[in-house]
Amino acid sequence: MLDEALHDIAAADTLAALQDLRVRYLGKKGVLTQRLKGLGQLPQEERREAGRLVNLDKEKVERALDERRAALERAGMQAELERERVDVTLPGSGLAHGGLHLLTLVTNRLLDVFTSLGYEVVGGPELETDRYNFEALNFPPDHPARDAQDTFWTTDGRLLRTHTSPMQVRYMETHEPPFKIVVPGRVFRNEAVDATHEAQFHQLEALVVGERITMADLNGAIKEMAAAFFGEGTRTRLQPTFFPFVEPGAEFAIEWTHPRSGKLEWLELGGSGMVHPNVFKAVGYENVTGFAFGFGIERLALVPYGIPDIRAFYQGDVRVLQQFRGRL
Amino acid sequence: MRVPYEWLKEFLGDALPPLERTVDLLDGLGLAVETVHSLPGAPRGVVVVDILEAEAIAGSDHLLRTVVTDGVRSTEVVCGAANAVAGARTALARPGAELPGAHHEQGDAGRHQGADPVVVTERTIHGVLSHGMLASPRELGLFEHGAGIITFARDTPLGADLAELWPAEEVIELELTPNRGDAFSMLGVARDLAAKLGAPLRDPTHGADLGDPSSDDGLTLEVADAGACPRLTLRGLAGVQVGPSPVWLQRRLAALGLRPRNNVVDVTNYVTFELGQPSHAYDRRALTNGVLQVRRAVEGEQVTLLNEEQITLHDEDLVIATPDGAGGSRAIGLAGVMGGLHDSVAADTDAIAIEVAHFDPRVVRRSARRHKLVTDAHVRFERGVDPNLPRRASARVASLVQAVAGGLVAAGTSETGADVAALSVRFRPSRVAFLTDMQVPEPEQRSYLEGLGCAVAELGEDAWEVTVPSWRFDLGIEEDLIEEVARMHGYEHIGDTVPAMHFVPPAHDPTHRALRAMLAALGHQETMNYVFTGDAELARAEAPAASVRLSEPQGIERAVLRTSLVPGLLATAAENHAATSLALFEVGRVFGETEQERVGLLWRGPWIDGRWRPGQAIDFFIVKGVLEALASLHGVELRCDAAELPGLHPGVGARVWWDGGEVGTLGRLHPEVAARYGLSETYVAELAIPLATHRIRFEEIQRQPFAERDLAVLAPEAVTFAQLRSLVAGAAGGLLASLEPFDVYQGRQVTAGRRSIALRFRFRHPERALTDVEVDGYMRNVMSAVRDAGYDIRT
Repeated sequence: MLDEALHDIAAADTLAALQDLRVRYLGKKGVLTQRLKGLGQLPQEERREAGRLVNLDKEKVERALDERRAALERAGMQAELERERVDVTLPGSGLAHGGLHLLTLVTNRLLDVFTSLGYEVVGGPELETDRYNFEALNFPPDHPARDAQDTFWTTDGRLLRTHTSPMQVRYMETHEPPFKIVVPGRVFRNEAVDATHEAQFHQLEALVVGERITMADLNGAIKEMAAAFFGEGTRTRLQPTFFPFVEPGAEFAIEWTHPRSGKLEWLELGGSGMVHPNVFKAVGYENVTGFAFGFGIERLALVPYGIPDIRAFYQGDVRVLQQFRGRL
Repeated sequence: MRVPYEWLKEFLGDALPPLERTVDLLDGLGLAVETVHSLPGAPRGVVVVDILEAEAIAGSDHLLRTVVTDGVRSTEVVCGAANAVAGARTALARPGAELPGAHHEQGDAGRHQGADPVVVTERTIHGVLSHGMLASPRELGLFEHGAGIITFARDTPLGADLAELWPAEEVIELELTPNRGDAFSMLGVARDLAAKLGAPLRDPTHGADLGDPSSDDGLTLEVADAGACPRLTLRGLAGVQVGPSPVWLQRRLAALGLRPRNNVVDVTNYVTFELGQPSHAYDRRALTNGVLQVRRAVEGEQVTLLNEEQITLHDEDLVIATPDGAGGSRAIGLAGVMGGLHDSVAADTDAIAIEVAHFDPRVVRRSARRHKLVTDAHVRFERGVDPNLPRRASARVASLVQAVAGGLVAAGTSETGADVAALSVRFRPSRVAFLTDMQVPEPEQRSYLEGLGCAVAELGEDAWEVTVPSWRFDLGIEEDLIEEVARMHGYEHIGDTVPAMHFVPPAHDPTHRALRAMLAALGHQETMNYVFTGDAELARAEAPAASVRLSEPQGIERAVLRTSLVPGLLATAAENHAATSLALFEVGRVFGETEQERVGLLWRGPWIDGRWRPGQAIDFFIVKGVLEALASLHGVELRCDAAELPGLHPGVGARVWWDGGEVGTLGRLHPEVAARYGLSETYVAELAIPLATHRIRFEEIQRQPFAERDLAVLAPEAVTFAQLRSLVAGAAGGLLASLEPFDVYQGRQVTAGRRSIALRFRFRHPERALTDVEVDGYMRNVMSAVRDAGYDIRT
């Protein structure tokens, strides 16, 4: 009987068949159960030995059933895992995947530099008045300096700001020194559009005002920015130039290795200088000095990434936009 | 401003450093060097000759047989130039000479384009053997003029090798800033260099004969507007011989990029660049009774200028005029801009009157702009010419004309106005260090200022009075003088420091960095469009009509400012028609009644592209879900109210409420609008920013289990979920923790016109478990409210 049972158990290939065998041998009316019940009919002296043998068989059958069950479960899991196997080399579902505009990436990086240097970030309107864009910045009416900034005038006498500098005036009108601010923003020039000129572009402007801010502080700020953006030890250069709202004025350049030519050269970045006394007068500041500098963000995006045409920034071709990935 | 290096030597002598060092110095002085041009000299094999004879060749309509001589022997040359006349001194390119600009009759001169030189050969033309060619300035590669042969003054040595007379040279091109009108001349550039180098400056007007104003010269000045013309001088010269200029003068003008005309005009142009003072030579015959007038024009008055254009004057224009002989006055030039054509120097001019004046920069600037003229005179006047220069400049012109065109300068001179008083500026030498952090010793500061033409008087300890020269009207305050000292000393000596400052920057996000990052992470690509657009572009997208218009737009499609971000996004979507799907956003400003910052979003194509298995199409609930996710990231609630909005599908559009405030719109693009852009099913949203963010506040997590009940309600399809939710939530009582729909069904199993919404209610008591009896009670209230509203419970 035992051999038959063990054979049947080993042959059971489903959990259901195994359950049937359990019932057949161990159930209430099962073979072994019946045999245990039948022990009572045996003589007293045989009963003990026979009982021991039946229990032995029962244990063996139970163990066999348990082992077989575990084996079948293992095999079942194995089969299920096998069924669930996927071809991981098939492509994943196409989820929408976003990204930031290259100009945003470059601006963010610049703002990281300036906020780490303790500057406040401020923004302002794009549609401006003559007062903020020119007059309060010491551009006299009818002065050729205005020609350098071909202006989009509106029919109601306002203008699209030609630089981020109006925010110097707006900020100083509503805040007291000392402070350090940086103003990123969109600006506009009514120029013929070509590969290097756009009618709209972005600038970043820094303004620092305090009791005694010097040109050395200006130079130091530019050097810090250059080091953070282009790497430690980047050389910078100041040269005299003219902007109505600074005196003395300077244009600044950084020395860098041109990614295409591989040559070390000066990259003219922007204008800077000490805030002109007339600008302080326009906002009612006294007994302070300050520096300001500003530059075009497109230039910092175009040159290092080797983008041949500035117009690419505004053409909205996702094949172009999505090339600039990596961080948010 | 072009600065021939060799010419600079005349001002600075041996003190002028080599070219490369000079370029560095100029850059360091703020006279930014744009480039250095290497101009070639005259080609080899070209000699100075006289034309002895010139006669038409039979059978040709324009060719001439000329006989030319180099002073030793004569030779025959065929020439087609109208100015190849007997008596002209010109240049013969002998056979074998290589001409850089030949055969480039159109466009720019050959030398600019690196054209291959053409070798001159002996050849027979119309039966005449031509021993070389008479060449134009363009063919010789000297300056841009191809309409005749080059001609020279009589003092040019016959037979001379032109290459010796006209060697190659270097010309520095400066990009001047608008404040430095004084540097718009050789003298001004040289003065800066001299001050920097501490070298003496040779002033070409030094010792010039200024003329005697008391001596009668037969000329009369009538200045009707002394405000616009504070200084006017007129100097007569009789017996001039108008003709070609000497080689040195032509060469100077060519190096400046000018075309030599005749010796008188060339001198006035030369002095414009030499001293920065424009002047004009009138034919003495043009001045009725020797009277030269300066007055405002009469509206509608006309004058033909040297550029051969007739302009109609405006009554604000300032003109040079002369009596018309009939009691009136006629304009003969536009003051400070350009002289008149008919009254200027001509070939037969014998006597001239040289007008040198100072004009109000604003008057000149407005005239030039009004008539769209850009001239060497006007750009100097509008930037500012030394108001005290006219007398000396007049003397310089007169003496140079006499030198190159002969004649006799009148002893007398006619003048109006007086020298402008010099401006004095209080200056503290200590402020140089205060503002620039550079230590410049006082004697050095003084030497720089004096080198620039300032007079320095020491009034006391750290108190100077600096008298500014009349040509430096950009110097008016102490800071201007600090800059002068600083740029002379050199910005390269400025240190670098970081100021100690008590300033704690407030943390805010004016560039909407967080919003941009969230949208990008939620799958959207950022784009940037122009703020300029057109009325048609706005109308096409059904966006609000423009409220801000540009007065001089770059075209009608850029004539107004955008009122919405949607038109730009739609254009971008149309542009990207090849992309499988699009999820775009833009952060930007729109210009309605006020300027407003917004974020615009656009979705098109599948939200999930399944590629090789089913994906997920875009629909309203996906994009609403995106905005809900965005709201959740801000810690606020987002709500949509159905609305019929311009440009949107009337049944799939909503006003968006953010944290209880209306912020914008969301919906499916109206199919008609979509068709205009060639777009399939497209969704757009536009929200005003900054979007409110909830203040973070800690809340204890609810630990009690909730009791859940489901209920399906059958209601007319016009009843919105929001209405139903409001009804049942109100009835469910205060312990309702959440209420979400989990199935929405319309179809065969429900009556037409009705819809089944299955709702999942969750109830929770903050402190204890709810009993079934309690929850069943709440649900009975819900069900009776539903039935009272006339809806059914679906079982």
